[in-house]
Amino acid sequence: MSTTRYRPQARRRRFDPGQAFLHGVMALAALLFLAPLGWMLSTSLKSPEDVIAGLGAMRWLPNPLTTENYRYILSKVEEFPVWRWTANSVLVALSVTALVLVVDTLAAFAYARLRWRGRDALFGLLVATMLVPGQALLIPSYLIVRALGWFDTYLALIVPAGASAFGVFLLRQFFSNIPAELEEAAVLDGCGPLQVLRHVILPLAKPALAALGIFTFMATWNAFEGPLLYTDSLAMRTLPIGIAVFQGRYNTEYGPMMAAATLAAVPVVIAFLLFQRHIIKGIALTGLAGR
Amino acid sequence: MSSSRNALRRADRIGWLFALPHLVLFAVFLLAPVGYGFYLSLHRWHVLAQDHPFVGFANYRAALADDIFWLALRNTLLFVVIAVPFGNAVSLLLALGLNGLRKASTPYKVAVYLPVVVSISVVAVLWRWLYNREVGLLNLTAKGFVDALRSLGLPLAPFDPIPWLADPSLVMLSIALMTIWWTAGGNMILYLAGLGNIPEDYYEAARIDGATNAQRFWHVTWPLLRPTTLFCLVISVLGSFQIFGQSYVLFAPGSGPARSGLTLALYMYQQGFSQYEIGYGAAIAYLLFALVLGLTVVQFRLFNAERRAREGRAI
Repeated sequence: MSTTRYRPQARRRRFDPGQAFLHGVMALAALLFLAPLGWMLSTSLKSPEDVIAGLGAMRWLPNPLTTENYRYILSKVEEFPVWRWTANSVLVALSVTALVLVVDTLAAFAYARLRWRGRDALFGLLVATMLVPGQALLIPSYLIVRALGWFDTYLALIVPAGASAFGVFLLRQFFSNIPAELEEAAVLDGCGPLQVLRHVILPLAKPALAALGIFTFMATWNAFEGPLLYTDSLAMRTLPIGIAVFQGRYNTEYGPMMAAATLAAVPVVIAFLLFQRHIIKGIALTGLAGR
Repeated sequence: MSSSRNALRRADRIGWLFALPHLVLFAVFLLAPVGYGFYLSLHRWHVLAQDHPFVGFANYRAALADDIFWLALRNTLLFVVIAVPFGNAVSLLLALGLNGLRKASTPYKVAVYLPVVVSISVVAVLWRWLYNREVGLLNLTAKGFVDALRSLGLPLAPFDPIPWLADPSLVMLSIALMTIWWTAGGNMILYLAGLGNIPEDYYEAARIDGATNAQRFWHVTWPLLRPTTLFCLVISVLGSFQIFGQSYVLFAPGSGPARSGLTLALYMYQQGFSQYEIGYGAAIAYLLFALVLGLTVVQFRLFNAERRAREGRAI
């Protein structure tokens, strides 16, 4: 019995033309998706003449290989303060992530586990706003940020990002699925709501919190419209806005532009490669595609 | 009696206290802008003007009579019509491929997802270079391909470089192609998760009935994947209608040859922040809002109707 069951599998393991073909197709697709980024890196390492002319322009492996483009843009400290922009992006992304995790956890706990008047009506309101396109709110949000005196400050880059209802919605789903018995036992032991949240809910909701944290970080890192409107000075720009502003002036110097783009892409690509397992699991878990 | 009422009040207080930090942010930066935006759209609100008179729906009427508004709407719709179906098809095909692999699918997954993590500025800067008419990678590769075929004796015309970003009729197609490359990985993972939720038994049953691959797809995968497809489509439509950064980085401020890259969100931005016509910009924003909301409702209806039709047939 067992031999007849296992034999087909053993044969399949040796060589399966269908699987080999599929691997070929997927490898080709993967290469197509990687090619633009590879070309960006390649161009950034070419000499200025090679970028735009002759055989050099067609090479994937730059010859000669040069860091000239990187030295060129990094020497333009005044117009291209890339380290400052990177530091801004790191600071803002970390702050927004912390803010969202704290306020959304507290709120989700209130909507999922506490009974209070107005709860269901308010939650309905939160869910209803999830379909509001963010672009439609840019002009009034900008005026509100100005009225608060936050224009061109870190507050403008951080605080408004905590308003989204998505994290509350997501965490509430997770908190609601935790069995009530666990909570009741803790209450009998004399735990107040904050202790229930800390000792019962949070340990069990770690995957959801991790997913929300990672996606909030990535979304903030790449945020475009808000930071574009809420800041003005070169010193307050985040990396994506800095690159967009910088390229307006150097849009025909492709070598230096590709070096700038590579510098902007490298930190987030490395972070992704390090955390890819969690990120991909998080997408499946939360239905957030990361954009 | 009174003690239980006190307990209730205390529970109310605790509930509100936990919800409050988020509620304050939500009220100031989400709810208030929704209301304030509508208020602005009903006023003639120039940034430099002293007063901002109430004008009723004049801004909306002005938008509907504005040729550039219609052009921006046309461009946006063109983008949605290309990017949503093709983008989802690409994501679904990639997910089907990954799902069919018995092992070692992670490297492909990572490669396709990689562009998703890069910001729109990097994407647009990079693709303007790829789309370069003379020495961009796309035209270089196409030229090499055509030249190779010609050298084999095929009767082809010499390669004429494609004006990806210079020809108004190609601009939205080029932006859609770039966007699909940028975003396909996200939906691919969602489709893959959806495929993973389809019980193996259904495929087993189909196999025993002698179903072909195509039959298995149309009679098992496609119907059972519908919730995922609906979710991905709604999210894609919602995102695509708001397209902004692509044109902003590629073309702003004029937004390309003959304004062919001008989108609704970008036109709203130009009116609000370049022309300082806050009221008019807010009206465009609300029109965009209404359009997106309407389309989301229509999509849910269509999918429900399709499901009912399918279930009716099954019975």
